[in-house]
Amino acid sequence: MTTDTAPISEARQQALSKAINRSERGRLFALLFPGLFWLSVFFAFPLFVILLYSFLTPGPTGNVIWKFTLGNYATLFTKDLYVNAYVRSLWIGVMTTVVCLLIGYPLALYIVQRSPRWRNVLLFLVLIPFWTNFLVRTYAWMIILANNGVINSLLQSIGMPRLTLLNTTGAVLVGLIYGELPFMVLPIYASIDRFDFTLLEAASDLGADRRRAFLRIMLPLTMPGVAAGSVLVFIPTVGQFVVSDLLGGAKVDMLGNLLQRLFTRSNPPNWPLGSAMALIFMLVLTIAIIFYFRTTTEEDR
Amino acid sequence: MIEASSQSQARPATATRAAARTNWRTVLLGVHSALMYVFLYAPIVILVLFSFTTDSFGARLTGFTFSWYTKLLQDERLMGAAWNTLTVALVSTIISTIIGTLTALAMERYRFRGRTGMDALLYLPIVIPEIVMALALLAFFAFMFGIIQNITGSQLKMSLTTVIISHIAFSISFVVVVVRASLKGFDRRLEEAARDLGANEWQTFWRITFPLILPGIIGGALLAFTISLDDFIISFFTTGPGTSLLPIEVYAQVKRAVTPKINAISTVMLVISMTLVALSQFVQRQRR
Amino acid sequence: MARLKLSLVLLVVLLAVSACGGGASSEPTAASGGASSAPTAASSGSTNAQATSAPAPTQAAAPADQPTAASAPAAGELQVDTSKLSKELHIYNWADYLNPEVLKSFEQEYGVKVTMEVYDNNEDMIAKIRPGNSGYDVVFPSDYAVEIMARDKLIATLDKSLLPNLAHLRKSNLDLYYDKGNVYSIPYNYGTTGLAYNKSKFSAPVDSWGAVFDPKQVEPYKGEVSMLDDEREVPGAALHYLGKSMNDTDPANLKQAEDLLKAQKPFLAAYDSSNVSRKLAAGEIVIGQIYNNNAMQARTGIDGDYSGNADIVFVVPKEGGTIWQDNACIVADSPNIYTAHVFLNYLMRPEIAAKNTAFNQGITPNADAEKLLDPKIQQLYKEGFAPDDATMKRLEWIVKNEKTVAFTDLWTAVKGE
Repeated sequence: MTTDTAPISEARQQALSKAINRSERGRLFALLFPGLFWLSVFFAFPLFVILLYSFLTPGPTGNVIWKFTLGNYATLFTKDLYVNAYVRSLWIGVMTTVVCLLIGYPLALYIVQRSPRWRNVLLFLVLIPFWTNFLVRTYAWMIILANNGVINSLLQSIGMPRLTLLNTTGAVLVGLIYGELPFMVLPIYASIDRFDFTLLEAASDLGADRRRAFLRIMLPLTMPGVAAGSVLVFIPTVGQFVVSDLLGGAKVDMLGNLLQRLFTRSNPPNWPLGSAMALIFMLVLTIAIIFYFRTTTEEDR
Repeated sequence: MIEASSQSQARPATATRAAARTNWRTVLLGVHSALMYVFLYAPIVILVLFSFTTDSFGARLTGFTFSWYTKLLQDERLMGAAWNTLTVALVSTIISTIIGTLTALAMERYRFRGRTGMDALLYLPIVIPEIVMALALLAFFAFMFGIIQNITGSQLKMSLTTVIISHIAFSISFVVVVVRASLKGFDRRLEEAARDLGANEWQTFWRITFPLILPGIIGGALLAFTISLDDFIISFFTTGPGTSLLPIEVYAQVKRAVTPKINAISTVMLVISMTLVALSQFVQRQRR
Repeated sequence: MARLKLSLVLLVVLLAVSACGGGASSEPTAASGGASSAPTAASSGSTNAQATSAPAPTQAAAPADQPTAASAPAAGELQVDTSKLSKELHIYNWADYLNPEVLKSFEQEYGVKVTMEVYDNNEDMIAKIRPGNSGYDVVFPSDYAVEIMARDKLIATLDKSLLPNLAHLRKSNLDLYYDKGNVYSIPYNYGTTGLAYNKSKFSAPVDSWGAVFDPKQVEPYKGEVSMLDDEREVPGAALHYLGKSMNDTDPANLKQAEDLLKAQKPFLAAYDSSNVSRKLAAGEIVIGQIYNNNAMQARTGIDGDYSGNADIVFVVPKEGGTIWQDNACIVADSPNIYTAHVFLNYLMRPEIAAKNTAFNQGITPNADAEKLLDPKIQQLYKEGFAPDDATMKRLEWIVKNEKTVAFTDLWTAVKGE
């Protein structure tokens, strides 16, 4: 954290590691066990199954033939189709994350600065729309953006020409940003809430202007929230498929569409290829995330 | 509800001074936030409006009617599915919040061998594509049921329990991410001070640590709740006979087109959640 | 600090209260499950009542050589041994496919509590059934899915002696390629894929796939055209337009189809399998590839309280279209096989089949049920919403085999642009 706490926690850390006594270990075990157990059983296992499948041969009827192959991975890296889908999805993910961050940070900041009562209300107001079904919300956007939709009706009533809004990349982006915004706002809120605003005072007393104070002090200290929010927004966006289907007209495949199709929609389904694709997807993202967190937030090491 | 940090007592004074100095920034921030709320609620207003339309395709406002609500009341399937969805969301949120908070504490407070591995394991549920996890869980449950039947002879079925187990599995990671974010900004001098003043560890945790990270915990819980309410793919593959869930009903109905009945039940669920929130605020104020 | 604790307690209480609400709501289910044993006893009476009052045409239609016919009071109706019935039956079905009233009346008549869950895709359903122990008794796979499920032993062979109502079904809907002799399946509902359009926007009736593929014809409707989001139906339409079979996997022909689809893409509003009816009725699109039952919805509306759009016309283009049929099957590991048979037989009663068809707006394979349908629906059938004999000749089943994997690649290529 701040420079003067670092030595203390470091000293404590050393003291801890020196005296890893039984009670300390027991406590760590108690804290860690429930999560470790649950995730091992319900994730390590599925991952193993998927890993296994990715090296097997797809059968003619959607079944899996127990014959080792590397063909699935070869297909993924050689066919433009798949490579393009990756690039396209990552690009959409980056755009969505950046926009969410740019509009979400000020919103979180605004909420934190309200009086306690209002903060709760405002925070809940961010979340409540998301207690309705995702699909229904997306439908609402369709009604707003459609050719005969709300916006176009308004435009026409004031004598403006109709715009094509639905089934465009813009519509997909709006839908994605809408769907992911709270996932950005919540972690940032939690982070700013912990931020000591007197530090900004101190900075300006020392002659820093507002922008410098923000960039040098506030942003780095709220980075854990920004990082967490970015990850929570970026990943689902890369893997999504419903939004691009409903608001984009399903004309272009995203990674999520491809995966969905390989696993269930295609005839026959191709689980091995889907597994290989999912694994690469997960591998790339996990490495990226851990790297991202290490570089942005682990300044206490 | 989410209030009670030592810094926050200092904040109002600071905020006032800052506001006086750069008033326009605050105004700008307010305008931006207002626009954001408009953005967030535009589709919701549409959704509620169209639950009263006479147009059964739910695409045009042709007239006003309550008939979708009366139809909804008669639709036992949809009502049952709504209750199931709520039950799953609540139970899985409570359990995953507890487990997630414990895990976050372990990850932030301790350095241990295998921590990087645990890190990876924690992000796995977030990065795993839903469809992959859903099918893997389905295979897993079927496999386990087979073993259990061989040993005990009792035949288990997919049910709300399997859905809840699965929802907890993916919610834990989201809770951990948010709680860790709030632990990272945590000033540990406060704990040390409490300890110096004679509080034992248990007291320190409940009196100091817990209140301070509570916003993070609640944030994580809300996130878990929201994700659980919305999940379709994993719910679909882990539920069983007699236990339908709202997202499954909605997704299946789009083959025909969403009728305003779906809008109606969404509106009802919105009203329920808003009432709960308003109620909690009210009770809080009464106690003050 | 006190406030904090309070708010947490409050949250927990709220959660707990809501959770209890959930629990309470599930109680009636359990209670009614238990209570259903009472109607079971009573139902033997009502079963007899039903049997004796069975309509005359039913008897006439039933073959005389029923195994149980001699002892039965009514020849056409199945003699149900109520002691062999289970307390519950679990149905897994397409959404909005089975009239809820039918479930209730079955429950009343036999005292069997029926639950139903829904899916929107054969592959999802198969994936759910395949690992076993799904808990479902009756499923409704489409043609090719029956073939897959039968081969993988996921569905049970049927006992025809328990299905006397098979006599009501049209011969043309039985004994089809995917289940010769109907060993595993009975047809439930069938339909076609073609084009629906808003006739007020077209100067001449549409009768060819050219309306959506020929750039000259489709240009004026740019952004108001949709195709299904389906890797077989869409290339199939292109192949039909090119004068080929939709099951043609010749690489040269597939390449041609792919180019045609890529050229068509700029004119499309969307690939859409789920909302075409709504968009057509609302005027969002003016022409689109569609299943006949969705076209019917666009024309008549849903639940009968919406007039729909009277300008919507459905046509199977002259180059050809698709035929499909959904079927009722019994899951192989179902513990309630006898009850499931009774249910299947019940579904084939003409008045029951008619109720379901009126509900799902499809086409019933039940000849006797069709006569019971609303004359308005029968009229729409004649106007092209159901295939006549001439149309039948240009319909093709979608065949799925190891060669048709090529369509996945084609579709991925089309969507990859």
